[in-house]
Amino acid sequence: MAVSALKRWAGKAPAPVFVAIGEGMRERVERLFADPRLERAATPRHAAIFLIAGPMRLEDREDLRRIHDQMPHPRATLLWAAEVGEALGDAETLTATLRPADASRADEAALDRLTRIWAELSNGERPSEPDLLHDEPPNPWQGIGPHGQGGKGMMGGTPYGRPMAMTADDLRDGLALDPYTARFGPFLPMFPPGLLLEMTLQGDVIQSAKVLRPPLPQAAGNDASAALLRLARLLDLLGLPVLGHRARLAAAGNRSSSAVEMLSRAIRWSGSTLAIPPGLGAVEGQGDLRTRFHDLLAVAGGSSAETRPELPESAHLSSLLPGLEWSEAMLVLNSLDDATLAALAVIKDDEDKNGHDHEGGGHMHHEHHGHGGHQGDGGHEHHAGHGGGA
Amino acid sequence: MDLVTKIIVICAVSALAVFTLWRTRAKDATAPQQLPYLGGGTPDTHAWQRYHVRYYSMTLLFIAFEMEMMFMYPWAVVFVEEGGKAMMEMGMFLAILSIGIVYAWREGVFRWQ
Repeated sequence: MAVSALKRWAGKAPAPVFVAIGEGMRERVERLFADPRLERAATPRHAAIFLIAGPMRLEDREDLRRIHDQMPHPRATLLWAAEVGEALGDAETLTATLRPADASRADEAALDRLTRIWAELSNGERPSEPDLLHDEPPNPWQGIGPHGQGGKGMMGGTPYGRPMAMTADDLRDGLALDPYTARFGPFLPMFPPGLLLEMTLQGDVIQSAKVLRPPLPQAAGNDASAALLRLARLLDLLGLPVLGHRARLAAAGNRSSSAVEMLSRAIRWSGSTLAIPPGLGAVEGQGDLRTRFHDLLAVAGGSSAETRPELPESAHLSSLLPGLEWSEAMLVLNSLDDATLAALAVIKDDEDKNGHDHEGGGHMHHEHHGHGGHQGDGGHEHHAGHGGGA
Repeated sequence: MDLVTKIIVICAVSALAVFTLWRTRAKDATAPQQLPYLGGGTPDTHAWQRYHVRYYSMTLLFIAFEMEMMFMYPWAVVFVEEGGKAMMEMGMFLAILSIGIVYAWREGVFRWQ
């Protein structure tokens, strides 16, 4: 009795949804999450529903499956106008609907379906989805070493299936501590959707960045509404989620000049421009992040975008991001408009000479290698199935 | 209750608590769930690693100054009664602390970057 009341109560809470945004769906998804019945989870660990919105690339499917398995039970998946084949098993699908003619209206069909799935999940009517990937560590480790801990000594072996970090010099002062190399993205919420970067970090400072997959193209929007949405992302990152939400609401509906004027005044008074370090993310001829922030405010207010000279050929994320702290790098990534970002995030082949290939239809298989040499190639998942069902 | 009974009761309650915790624990995380969340990507190495805590030198300095002040307030009361002896003792204490400050100075803590 009491438990079923609790279940009903849980079903009335906002549905925690983790969303992977595909091609051309970013604005639509952001409008959808302005609704109070939904809550956009920052990680799959906080979500019950995995929303896959829009068409995905073939090589993204493996990452979608991994995110799916990272969600706690009970969980459900909704494919919204997504083309992912059988990669997500027999997940529920919602076919593509036309964007509502009135931009202020959210996609009711998607909203209804998500809230219904959440209600069913919380009252236990809907069974949780099983794992798609095999529950195997990326490398065998158990029973290896004198105590079965996966290796010998402090640095050797692959305890829990992953090698220990070796030391490398820090960009800042040459202090040799442990670098952390990982592939970030393609569905990190603070990243532009689809962007996959291989980055090496020391603490929170980016040492090197390499583009593995460019961001997925989004609907080109250079109007006030698109500017407001971009502004909202920056405000969220700057720790001003209330202003971000207001900007998102303004983007969705009320764009009367007085409302936008009040909002931009609130943004100016919040001191958020002062929180952006001067000269951050400066690209030759394009100005820095503060310039872009002021441009966005101007465009949101109804003036036309200022024309800037062409991007220099040499400009690329791999030279823009190193040396920045994580928070600064995220601001830089989100300050760029889609066209500039696409130009900065082209895949460079010339630097891919280090022997291991992270790309092309999922990751390489490292079937079984010994306990010893592992540096550089030990860190990948290996899974039995690619793209198929569970 | 004698001591033996108390020990037995405490042991039984702790064992029951441990057993209940063990029974109600979350199911063991699967290999994908053990990954740090990277938006679908994978790491090369463990996240268990050493990095430099950049505020470390500031914390040392803070402790050096703060400890000084913490003991100087009660000392001020004692100084009225004791006089020169308390002065000597505080001098020794400050001398020891100032070694830390001199060390921090040598390390360049006062040059703000």
